[in-house]
Amino acid sequence: MSEIENKTENGSTESAGECTTGDTKDDKGLGLGVIFFIVAFVGCFLSGTLLFPKLLYSKKEQPFNFDHALHVGEAGDCESCHSFREDGSFTGIPKLDTCLDCHSEEALGETDDEAVFVEEYVLEEKEVPWYVYSRQPDCVFFSHAAHTQTAGMDCVTCHGHIGESTSLKPYEENRITGYSRDIWGKNIFGIKKHSWDRMKMDDCAECHKKETGHKGYCFQCHK
Amino acid sequence: MKVDRRSFLGLGLGAVAGVAVSPIGMKLTDDSSIWTQNWPWTPVPVDGEVTYENSVCSLCPGSCGLSVRKIDDRPVKIEGLAEHPVNDGGACLHGIAGLQYLYDPARVKTPLKKNGDKFEEISWDDAIALVAGKLADLRKKGSPEKLACIADKEQGSVSGLFQRLLKTFGSPNFYTMPSLESYLEVTATALHGEGMTIGFDLENSDFVLSFGSGIIEGWGSPVNCFKANASRKARHAKLYQIESRLSNTAANADKWIPVKPGTEADLALGMCAVILKNNLFDGGATANFIGGFNKLAIMIQKEYAPSKTAEITGVKASDIEKIATLFAKAKMPVAVFGKGRGDGAQSLKELAAVHTLNCLVGNINKKGGAFVQLKSDYLEFPDESMDTIADAGFAKNKTGRYVNQLVEKVNESSKPVVEALFVYNANPCYSLHDSKSVKQAIGKIPFVVSFSSFLDETAKEADIVLPSHTFLERLEDVPSCAGLAKSVVGLTKPVIEPVFDTKHAGDAVILIAKALEGSIAESFEWETYDECLESVAAGIWDSLSEDGYAIISEGVPFGSVAVNVSFLADNPATVQARGDYELTLIPIDNMRLINAGIAASPFAIKTVSDKVLKGSDIVVEINPLTAKGLKDRGYATLTTPTDTARVMINLNEGMMPGVIGMVEGLGHTFDNKYVSNKGINVNDLIGPVIESGSGLDAAFGIKVKISKA
Amino acid sequence: MKQNNNKAHKFGMVIDLDKCTGCGSCMVSCMSENNVPFKEDESNKKDSITWMRVYKLTNGKSFPDTEIVYMPRPCQHCGGKGDHGHSPCVSVCPAVATDYGYDTGIVSQIYTRCFGCRYCMGACPYHARYFNWWDPKWPEGMENYLSPNVSPRMRGVVEKCSFCYHRYQAARDTAYYEGRDDIEEHEYQTACTTACPAGAIVFGDLNNPAHKVHQIVKPDPHPDPRNKHVVGKSRNPKVFRLLERLGTNPKVYYLSEREWVRKQGDNYLDGEWDKIKNHHGAASHG
Repeated sequence: MSEIENKTENGSTESAGECTTGDTKDDKGLGLGVIFFIVAFVGCFLSGTLLFPKLLYSKKEQPFNFDHALHVGEAGDCESCHSFREDGSFTGIPKLDTCLDCHSEEALGETDDEAVFVEEYVLEEKEVPWYVYSRQPDCVFFSHAAHTQTAGMDCVTCHGHIGESTSLKPYEENRITGYSRDIWGKNIFGIKKHSWDRMKMDDCAECHKKETGHKGYCFQCHK
Repeated sequence: MKVDRRSFLGLGLGAVAGVAVSPIGMKLTDDSSIWTQNWPWTPVPVDGEVTYENSVCSLCPGSCGLSVRKIDDRPVKIEGLAEHPVNDGGACLHGIAGLQYLYDPARVKTPLKKNGDKFEEISWDDAIALVAGKLADLRKKGSPEKLACIADKEQGSVSGLFQRLLKTFGSPNFYTMPSLESYLEVTATALHGEGMTIGFDLENSDFVLSFGSGIIEGWGSPVNCFKANASRKARHAKLYQIESRLSNTAANADKWIPVKPGTEADLALGMCAVILKNNLFDGGATANFIGGFNKLAIMIQKEYAPSKTAEITGVKASDIEKIATLFAKAKMPVAVFGKGRGDGAQSLKELAAVHTLNCLVGNINKKGGAFVQLKSDYLEFPDESMDTIADAGFAKNKTGRYVNQLVEKVNESSKPVVEALFVYNANPCYSLHDSKSVKQAIGKIPFVVSFSSFLDETAKEADIVLPSHTFLERLEDVPSCAGLAKSVVGLTKPVIEPVFDTKHAGDAVILIAKALEGSIAESFEWETYDECLESVAAGIWDSLSEDGYAIISEGVPFGSVAVNVSFLADNPATVQARGDYELTLIPIDNMRLINAGIAASPFAIKTVSDKVLKGSDIVVEINPLTAKGLKDRGYATLTTPTDTARVMINLNEGMMPGVIGMVEGLGHTFDNKYVSNKGINVNDLIGPVIESGSGLDAAFGIKVKISKA
Repeated sequence: MKQNNNKAHKFGMVIDLDKCTGCGSCMVSCMSENNVPFKEDESNKKDSITWMRVYKLTNGKSFPDTEIVYMPRPCQHCGGKGDHGHSPCVSVCPAVATDYGYDTGIVSQIYTRCFGCRYCMGACPYHARYFNWWDPKWPEGMENYLSPNVSPRMRGVVEKCSFCYHRYQAARDTAYYEGRDDIEEHEYQTACTTACPAGAIVFGDLNNPAHKVHQIVKPDPHPDPRNKHVVGKSRNPKVFRLLERLGTNPKVYYLSEREWVRKQGDNYLDGEWDKIKNHHGAASHG
């Protein structure tokens, strides 16, 4: 059967009666179609899962490495640097001034990273332009006081074990939104194993629903 | 096996299914929605530590305490300062919008020098050298008195430095723009003698009789007045407002007494007549009258009997008698003067006549009355060193008594009577009547130096602009004047590093003085203005720097004050509006606009009603009876004796028939599209009318006609 | 985790129209506090964004009996019929970009969620909602004064007064940090309230008898016997709400000694006002 005939016949398969013959004749074609389907399916699925994130996120290195474990060891706990102000607001990433409570123009240790810190930031009196993994859009209001002071949550619940890390992972910036990959989570499907794997609104709502019985009103978390 | 169409179909479907099952779709949808919610051009204000810094507002003479909220080093909000002796929390809209002045598009960012019609940027060093060079030439020519200066006020250390520079240079020609304080001093001088000023104890008075004073329209120290007015109900105090228009003050008052514009003085004298005739005056107080009392008593009985006064003012004779009686019988009455905001044109006859009411009922230096006392002087400048040129020049007569006469002299004379002019914190080319002739006069002066922060109407006419810091960037003592019962000096503090390459005007004056060398430089030995302030205000510096203010005097002043009413006893003529047309155009003071000094901020302009400003058209208020064929929101042509203007009509029942009201504070022409080229400047339309005797510009309005455009 | 709203607040406001001078401080304080933009021409009041707007009322009489009163109008934070939280705007929003906070009584507006259909603007009887027809633009450098507490809006979304919710959040942060359960009256005051030089605006919790606003308004917690949709009618004969009979149950109350002002708070048929002008909360039905 020539291709043309085949096409004509297929073209007329709209009438139900002729379907059976068509089916038997085209077994091979269908087989190949299935293989093509599977190949394309797997290919696209894999590229959507593996390649797409590579394209979506651009990796950025932090200005220099920061050893959380070392600092927690020296300073005591998270609050030593990530502290509350007297008005109950949260300082977040410490400013240079906070660093200078311990550091000075003389390096305390011997790492290259500290040398960079001293030379480029302490001596220049410049703030370190850290990439913040947990940065949320401007419309989000988050009260650390409500969560850690009143509700008694720990830092790990949302931030994971960053305090035990010795190096900073590269910051993966979403090319479309400009926010960190950590907000959606490392898993491109958005599946999380731990509470700190994702930081989307649904994750906030999920916990709020569980703990307070209500997802919360808009203004609770938006400004 | 053949690769056929179905294979491709399979490929396509596979690809679609693969993508559909992969996270691409879900993720891209999520990301793109986040993207569209956070456009990169929508600013994201940086968060940080919240701190508050206290300062004092110097946008108007009110001198309110301010609390500036900052995020790290960035001021983000201005609010009134609680427990400040002037405003105790609360602030007016102009102060709250103060941050807009910091980043105003019309700010002068660096010193400017006029070259032909255009300004070019020059360095501070060159600018100071240039100014000093020109001034030195003037001295060499032996005519130092031809340096003049126009400032906003006489009080305060920066004004003090300007006066000192002029004096040591050899010029008596220091002028201030008209302000409520200057009128209070003129009134006090006329009735009580040199060196006195007047304050009003509004917060305690139980009967305020206001002759057109816009007590909630920016008169005096605005927030203080708002508070006194708001507490009226709780204190069972009354406010009677005499005014030809239902202003906000009139609307808020217990009684509004419409009066023909410009006849307030006659009404006040009519009330004096009632009080005298019915023996309602305070016997003890009349003992303080040292001149002209009997003559005045006879004159007013004759000229200002109720029926006659009623005819002049349009207020019923029975009302005149009733109000005068209520006023005299009140426990703590006070009559308040200064039409509108009190900084426009005023006639001494009116000011003195109203104040005579206070003197008659004996409320001078009594609780809830008018406080007459010596001007507060908290600054101690060291003695100047004067050389012979300075002595000779300074001893000469001032070119004119007030700034409007200076303008007149400059325009009249064919030879330059002023060779150089300094302008500080003032915008005479906008705020004075007949701004065209003011501009002409400024244009005739060969060398004009403006110290303005903005390229305003006057700065545009200058040859050199030495830009000052705004009030948020500088240290300065700010004496509250403006008719407050107490005398408070506040300290304006810099809450932000200067945004542009500007200097404190005090520093600029010190630099100019130093560059002039000799005895002038010797009189300016301070390194910086800040150092100067600390030394000249040493007496109150501790409390200024610690509390942010110092109270110079508070409470009821002691002692009685002599009253001399000879000026009134001669029955000076009441100033008439210029022109022969039937209607009278009067300026309206609107709290949301500013007439003197600076322009209103973009925020303030935004709050202005569309019944005041519509697009670029100014809206005038007119009673439907007067409007005749004119339609509400329609256009009309306003004709004055010298000019015409296109205006929009707002039919307003709160306007006295025969009167047209036009708001003050619009029609700016400088480079800020948010506040400029909106409406017209009412001062362009009203020409000055000089009151004989006092020399004040007393043009309360002008005669106009109006017709359909 | 313990929820902090075991006793729900109902934040509200009472504005003394006899004290209001129409000076405009509240409007500017609001704009400055909430990063409200401005444009070259703001005289077309239909597209001029003013969360707080001061209206001028007149008694309509001719000279010299004319009277003027100014009436500031923030978002009324309606509780909706029966005060159940079904505010007119919330009920129509297809995007849940506005909701009713049952813990505060405050009606929210989430700009990033709004897609600009403007149903809410049509539904609002008080014209309290504004649409961003243009992207906000500040003159060079002026973005430096923007506050981080309120996110700037973009073109195509609706915005409105939030009763300065960020001030509530800030006050709560302080309370949480200090281990307190709740905030004091003075800790949460809106920007218009603190700015008013005449002290005409009083803000606080209508549910809290210790708060000044409650003491002035004396809200009747029961439904109005003549209109069950109306809840929280004031027992103060000088206090009224705008279009009260619609049953929108605004949390903004007005106070005036002048009867003509109170009458202008709603539209009445001939003779209707005289019949109902003396009906107030609770006292009228025991």
